[in-house]
Amino acid sequence: MKRVLISSLLLSISVFATDYKKVIEYPDASSMIKKDLLAPPKVYNMPKGCITNDPAAIARGKFIFHNLNGKKAKQNPPKGLSRKTKDGKIKQYGNCIACHNIEGAKGAGNVGPDLSKYKENFIDTKVRDYKFVFQKIADARIDNPNTNMTINLTTGLFTPREICDIASYIVSKK
Amino acid sequence: MKGKIILTLALFSSLSFCGEQFSMSDADRALYEEMKENNPADIMLADGEELFEDIGGEKALAKFLGVSEDDLPSYIAGFPRYVKKIGLVVGLDQVLQAMMYDKGKKPFKLKSKKMFNMVAYVKSIANDEKINIDVNADPYIKAMYKLGKKVFMTKRGGRGLSCNSCHSPSVVGLVLRTQKLPDLGSNGAKSAATWPAYRMTKSSLRTFQRRFQGCMKNALLKVIPIGSKQMVALEVYLTEQAKGSKIEIPGLKR
Ligand code: HEC
Ligand code: HEC
Repeated sequence: MKRVLISSLLLSISVFATDYKKVIEYPDASSMIKKDLLAPPKVYNMPKGCITNDPAAIARGKFIFHNLNGKKAKQNPPKGLSRKTKDGKIKQYGNCIACHNIEGAKGAGNVGPDLSKYKENFIDTKVRDYKFVFQKIADARIDNPNTNMTINLTTGLFTPREICDIASYIVSKK
Repeated sequence: MKGKIILTLALFSSLSFCGEQFSMSDADRALYEEMKENNPADIMLADGEELFEDIGGEKALAKFLGVSEDDLPSYIAGFPRYVKKIGLVVGLDQVLQAMMYDKGKKPFKLKSKKMFNMVAYVKSIANDEKINIDVNADPYIKAMYKLGKKVFMTKRGGRGLSCNSCHSPSVVGLVLRTQKLPDLGSNGAKSAATWPAYRMTKSSLRTFQRRFQGCMKNALLKVIPIGSKQMVALEVYLTEQAKGSKIEIPGLKR
């Protein structure tokens, strides 16, 4: 009898104690993060005709380098580049100047190396080649596993042709 | 007095709209110093205090947490922490949600302005206390610290960046788009002790986790919800980095 009373008392306590886990907001974001994860580092082959002197390609590369996205860009993008993606979302650009100085940069950062005079200092001297530049922008982890640089092809942010446009701009004579 | 605050505010918002980028000029810096004296968030904290009194104030909070009113400030300075009654490692805002429920009120959403005001006031009760989080206090907080560090280091999103990409000791002090990368951790950095804070570029009071969301959005990381396990874990991790720093709420930020 006594036993029954005690256990029913215990029972009622646990029934009436508030389950705060149901009261407060405490969602689990693990699946959101999982879907958002960066894929492993990848080596890419530079496409044929990637680096070019074509002024239109260089203009696109330059625009991507200096701007954040299609909404923030002050000027209209050059031919062949849009402010929106095919499915109507704001097109993201490189915002490379957030971290890199280069000729004509406004408000450049210094998280990454200065890319001014890149042709004279790095390409003509054979310190770097086109393939290196392409891979660096596509997936910087191949050169430096602990890089702080953005990953631009493995994330699908850009197409290989866009990476080529950006690379063509960096290695062009300015 | 109030007129002066409004004038300063108007000046600031015009600055943040006209400039190509917002780097602080000498004039901006002078305004910043002035606003430090008259933090616009003081009004918001006053609102938060009223909301907090509505649910019983310090007395009720101390009772909920099982500490004396005298010990409340230093206890607040140890959040986020494992709260046995709730059975989770929580932030102060989540404790306030539980208290609202006990009072028969519908808890404010964690992301609501009212909650920001209230939690900012409650954290300010611990002003001048030093952050005393103990990430070894129990297995729950230990696990959350570990999770927070992992979330901080995880590269993800459209540009494959992690929090650490921009806030590791190796880049702190360098410049990203005219903005100096702030030190969140090493060498007695005190970021966690300065949030909730008034953000001049947003003209509003923001919490630490709301600030994390800002970085996630800018850097194209999927924005995870305030109060999620992973957000609380990030706060635990960054609060541990600020351990020993004096709490000064509301902070004032660019
Ligand atoms: C968040 C910072 C950041 C951003 C944004 C960024 N970079 Fe970098 N970049 C770096 C860092 C840091 C390095 C140094 C090497 C490393 O750690 O990978 C680097 C290195 C490079 C190099 C190699 C230079 C050399 O010869 O050693 C190139 C080329 C480059 N970045 C191009 C770009 C381009 C193009 C973009 C935009 C699409 C970009 N970066 C955006 C941080 C950044
Ligand atoms: C692409 C670079 C970048 C990434 C990635 C990034 N941040 Fe930031 N973060 C910044 C910059 C720049 C500032 C300072 C901006 C300013 O001056 O207002 C900042 C400021 C902050 C602050 C405010 C510091 C203070 O007390 O004033 C916090 C907190 C913060 N970041 C947390 C995070 C967290 C958490 C993550 C990851 C989810 C993250 N950041 C990812 C660049 C970044």
